[in-house]
Amino acid sequence: MRARRSVRLALALVAALVVLSACKSADLPIGGENLRFWCGFTGPDGITMLRMIKQFNGANPKSPVTMQRMDWGTYYNKLLVAGLGKRSPEVFILHITAVPRFRDAGLLEPVDDLFVGPGALPREDFDDNVLKHVVHDGKLLALPLDVHPMGLYYNPDLLKQAGLAGPDGTVKPPATRDEFLHYLRQYKKVMGPTHWGYAYANLSYDMSNFIAQWGGPMFSDDLQRCTLNDPRNIEAMQFAADLIHKEKLVPTIESRLSWIGFRQGKVPMATEGTYMLGDLVRVPGLNYMGAPLPQWGPQPGTFASSHVMCVSRGLTPERRAAALKLLKHLSDHSLEWAEAGQIPVRKTLRDTDEFRAMQVQSAFAKGIPNLMFRTMVPFDFEFESEFKYAVEKILYATETPKVALDKATENVNRVIARYRADEARRQE
Amino acid sequence: MSAGLSKRFDGYLFAAPFLLLFAGFVVSPLVYGFVLSFMRWDMTARLPAEFAAFTNYTEAFGDPYFRSALKVTFLFVLFVVPLTVLCGLGAALGLAAITKRRGLYRAAFLLPTMLNVSVAAILWKWFYNSEFGLINHYTYEWFGYRVPWLVQSNMALASIVIMTVWWTIGNPSIILMAGIQQIPSALYEAAAVDGAGPWQRFLNITLPGIRPVLLFVTIMSIIGSFQVFGQTFILTEGGPQNSTRGAVHYIYQVAFNFYRMGYAAAMSWILFIFIAAFSLLQLRLMREK
Repeated sequence: MRARRSVRLALALVAALVVLSACKSADLPIGGENLRFWCGFTGPDGITMLRMIKQFNGANPKSPVTMQRMDWGTYYNKLLVAGLGKRSPEVFILHITAVPRFRDAGLLEPVDDLFVGPGALPREDFDDNVLKHVVHDGKLLALPLDVHPMGLYYNPDLLKQAGLAGPDGTVKPPATRDEFLHYLRQYKKVMGPTHWGYAYANLSYDMSNFIAQWGGPMFSDDLQRCTLNDPRNIEAMQFAADLIHKEKLVPTIESRLSWIGFRQGKVPMATEGTYMLGDLVRVPGLNYMGAPLPQWGPQPGTFASSHVMCVSRGLTPERRAAALKLLKHLSDHSLEWAEAGQIPVRKTLRDTDEFRAMQVQSAFAKGIPNLMFRTMVPFDFEFESEFKYAVEKILYATETPKVALDKATENVNRVIARYRADEARRQE
Repeated sequence: MSAGLSKRFDGYLFAAPFLLLFAGFVVSPLVYGFVLSFMRWDMTARLPAEFAAFTNYTEAFGDPYFRSALKVTFLFVLFVVPLTVLCGLGAALGLAAITKRRGLYRAAFLLPTMLNVSVAAILWKWFYNSEFGLINHYTYEWFGYRVPWLVQSNMALASIVIMTVWWTIGNPSIILMAGIQQIPSALYEAAAVDGAGPWQRFLNITLPGIRPVLLFVTIMSIIGSFQVFGQTFILTEGGPQNSTRGAVHYIYQVAFNFYRMGYAAAMSWILFIFIAAFSLLQLRLMREK
């Protein structure tokens, strides 16, 4: 009796499972599983991105997306290994400088059709000086989601205390080298010798700003030679080092004031990206504003980067179409993305009252015409590592700018030689 | 199956699950890594691995970054191993002498060891913070000076050594304490009757009595210290000016940031040879004594 009941129960369970799976298969997304979207937005920007993905899922129940985020350091390793193992997520975010490496590894599917056909994205709406970096051999390898130039964060309250307000009581951020140096001197004079008007917040980014403004190249035009020790770069680095060691207007790196100093209301000016905005929003009572970078060098210039959206290779036409739909959705909604401290790369979105109301983002966006990305090379990580090391040696005054940049150039040229050898092997 | 045959295979059968895992996750990656160390293989180059003979090894010996990373590692070992063993021994002697609430004190020493390296490192990153860290709060209050713990090249490694000793001292203390407790109390009583003082008792009874345990603790500390990575990765990211970038950290960068797997494998084998050589040397020295 008991055995028969058990058999009946088992049969009922099997039947229920069959019915459930039939129901599920009717609702299955394209290709049988959710589209995977990977990114490194682990800060407050990740919450905004998740909200945008949820919106997309609500509007596209047939092609739902699962978002996975991890910190950038881990992210690039996992993403590359997943790609080489043919387990890439369908859609993923890269920093624009990582595009050449992923391109050379054969992991990027061109997305030119986003600009073609009905409902296409308007190509002219994208900043050309961003878009051109993701075009290789005439093919669009990724779609820029945002652009984040560096800018000047300043604390009007602290500057006012130092007597740097105008006759109308408002504080104008420094726009030129002379104004900048005057602000630093005045701040120290009024507030005391242990107070600093500005601190380096992100060593390699800050130095990249100077390099952008002195106009020295990092590589030869054919990318076959590193030119980091160009006299203009040496001069830019000398200016940066002198601010600490000669002029004594910027605190030593050991002081560790940096971004934390600005956040704590101890330093009135710091240069960082718009992405740091999320960090400031959480500090109660901190009065801060954004401005374009002052012009320290002979030309205007702003170091920048951009998050770009990529589609992996080898997708079925349906899944590829769904992936492109997601790219288009995120691009169209990148004004929401701006709330997370990013700047849309689309001009029409920036030309809205909503965007203009975002004080820091719209101020930093003024740097877009003069932005400088790091040179697009597949060995960007090696270059970055050498550059950072050289910058530390210069700012800690361990080596002169010339010696440090000469060594870095020599090392990067060795890396280039290795890549050229690989290239030759590929052509064989 | 006969009883004899069954007996012969019983041991293997019990060891099989471990041996299978050991072969799959330790031996085969080791062999693969060894083969890889003779290859030129950039994961992203879209080229098959190419036999490169000893090129990776010769490059490693000529690489100033690898040499500097090895120097950092040796310095770290030089400070961490004696400090851990000596402090561990001191703690063990103290714990063995305590009669009341010994469990509580033992737990206190073991507690940091239970922390994951990430947790321990993040905790100390806050302690060491120049501006609002706990330690600098007191140094500033008492001496009017903030110590640049992690931001000055000549301080950063010392700071990581201090954190590591705090984090790893638990295990050696408990192991050494167990060793001390194994020494028959009659020996101490006899020595006391013969007029031996505490220092003589320690030198002539305790130290010889715990020599095998001391050897074990030292070798484990050497092996662990040569592999330093988590602390430097989280606390300083190898900086400032690469002053805390140890060999494993550099190998990690070469393998997973620069994707040069063959070269990274060669450096790993060089490091392995150093660890094995030092462990064997230590073993021999302790045995001879």
